[in-house]
Parts: sequence; structure tokens; C-alpha cells
Amino acid sequence: MARAATTSDVFNAIAEPQRREILVLLRAGERPVNELAQELGMTQPGASKHLRVLRQVRLVRDRKAGKQRLYCLDARGLRPVHEFTCGFERFWNESFDRLDGYVQDLKQARKKE
Amino acid sequence: MAVTGREAPEQSATADREIVISRVIDAPRELVFEAFTEVRHLSRWWGPEGFTTTTRAFEFRVDGVWDFVMHGPDGTDYQEWIFWTEIAPPERITLLHGESPGDPNAFESVLTFLPDGAATRIEMRTVFPTKKLRDEAVEKYHAIEGGQQTLGNLAVYVTAIVRKGVED
Repeated sequence: MARAATTSDVFNAIAEPQRREILVLLRAGERPVNELAQELGMTQPGASKHLRVLRQVRLVRDRKAGKQRLYCLDARGLRPVHEFTCGFERFWNESFDRLDGYVQDLKQARKKE
Repeated sequence: MAVTGREAPEQSATADREIVISRVIDAPRELVFEAFTEVRHLSRWWGPEGFTTTTRAFEFRVDGVWDFVMHGPDGTDYQEWIFWTEIAPPERITLLHGESPGDPNAFESVLTFLPDGAATRIEMRTVFPTKKLRDEAVEKYHAIEGGQQTLGNLAVYVTAIVRKGVED
């Protein structure tokens, strides 16, 4: 059950801290799995397993370059995360804009009293 | 598991389903806090631009409820139900946010008011306990943002009419 959810849901996929670290490393550009594994202090099969999950939720893409396989970010998968946080954040940012304006009015009114 | 020292276990437990929004408001925190304590204040700023609220019941105390309807600019109504679980003036308010009493999908937000010189930093930390809950909040806030789109369209439409009137 849990495994199935991890590989089909981007939110579950990025709940794993090491997968988030892989994504951060890939922001700098394409990397082969052995480099990623070394940098994160994990085994190569361990890194490959995380990359497989990230590929399944379309957060990373891979391509063959000679004997190596290079991984890079695939922003398509991040869209639901971005949309989710933006919707909620925008709602509250706009509320806080209005709160700010209202509190300034209150402040002026109190000064006059 | 190798311990690398860069892990903050407590934070990573909720980091992926938590949203923190903060803002600095140029006013003493007693005043910012006060804007949360009465309907006559809340109704002036709650929700994005173009939203209004109609309150059915309001009691600002621990275990008290704010039961209201939020009206979107496109005419859509949203049932809202807020339950205050902690009130510590002028530092902190913890609330449960749902659509009705006992809403199993209610989620918790903690509002913290911190002095920042002569100003106040307000921080809202919301943690969604389950995936299902988070998804439903996503859907709802998407719908609300849809309302915002409508408002934007209306503004464009009205501006066009006004300009046309001037040209005629």
C-alpha cells in the first residue's frame, strides 16, 4: 500500500528527506548516480532506488551518455506541489495585505482618540 | 542509518505537509492581535480582496467558535467554521479550521505574533495531518483562487467598458 502511494504521489515521494536532497543537488545540473550517491553518503543501489521513485513521479528524467546514465530535474512533477502551496499561500498573503491595511487604519484611529 | 548531522527529525516529520506564511506589520502587536478578536475587525480583512463574510456566531475564547459564510467575488459561498483552541494575548492563537462542527477534515493553524522593533511579525503555521485532508484543502483553495480569476476577468471587463464609454 505505502509503496504504491510513494511511487504515484509526488507529495509522498518528496516526504523522504534524502530524495529532497537529491533534487537539491540536481538543481545545479545533470549528474550520474555514482556522484549523487557519493555526495549524499549513500550506496549506489540506495541512490538508484530513490532516483527510480523520483522518475516515476516525474521529478527527474534520465538519459544515457556513453556508459553512464545522467539524471536531471523534470519540473513537470513539481507543478502540483507548486500549485498547492501557491493557492493556499496566495489566499493568506492577500488576507494579510488587507489585515495590514486595516491595522494601519486602527492605528490612525487610536492616535486621534 | 548513517547520521550525518544535517537532519532535523522533528522538522522533517511535518515539513512536507506544513505551510508557513509570515508578514511584518508596522504596528504594535497588541493592535495586530486585536484585529483577530472581534467580528467587526475580522470582517474588514478576512479573505483575499473582494471577499466578504456573514457571521452566524462568534465567541472569541478557548473552545469558542466563529461560524460564518465567506462570499467569493464570483458569488460562491464557502461555509467556514473556526474553533479557537488556544488564545494567549498578544502572543499566540491556535485554531482549528473546518467547514462545520466536528469536521473530520479540519486542520490546525498556529498564529504567532512576535515583536519586531516597533512592528510585529505575524507567522501562520498550518500543518495538514493527512494526505486526504491536504488534497481536499488543495481542491478548496483552488476553487477559491478560481474565484479570484473571475474577479480579475471582471476588472478587465469593467475597465474595457469604461474605456469604451470614454471613446464614444
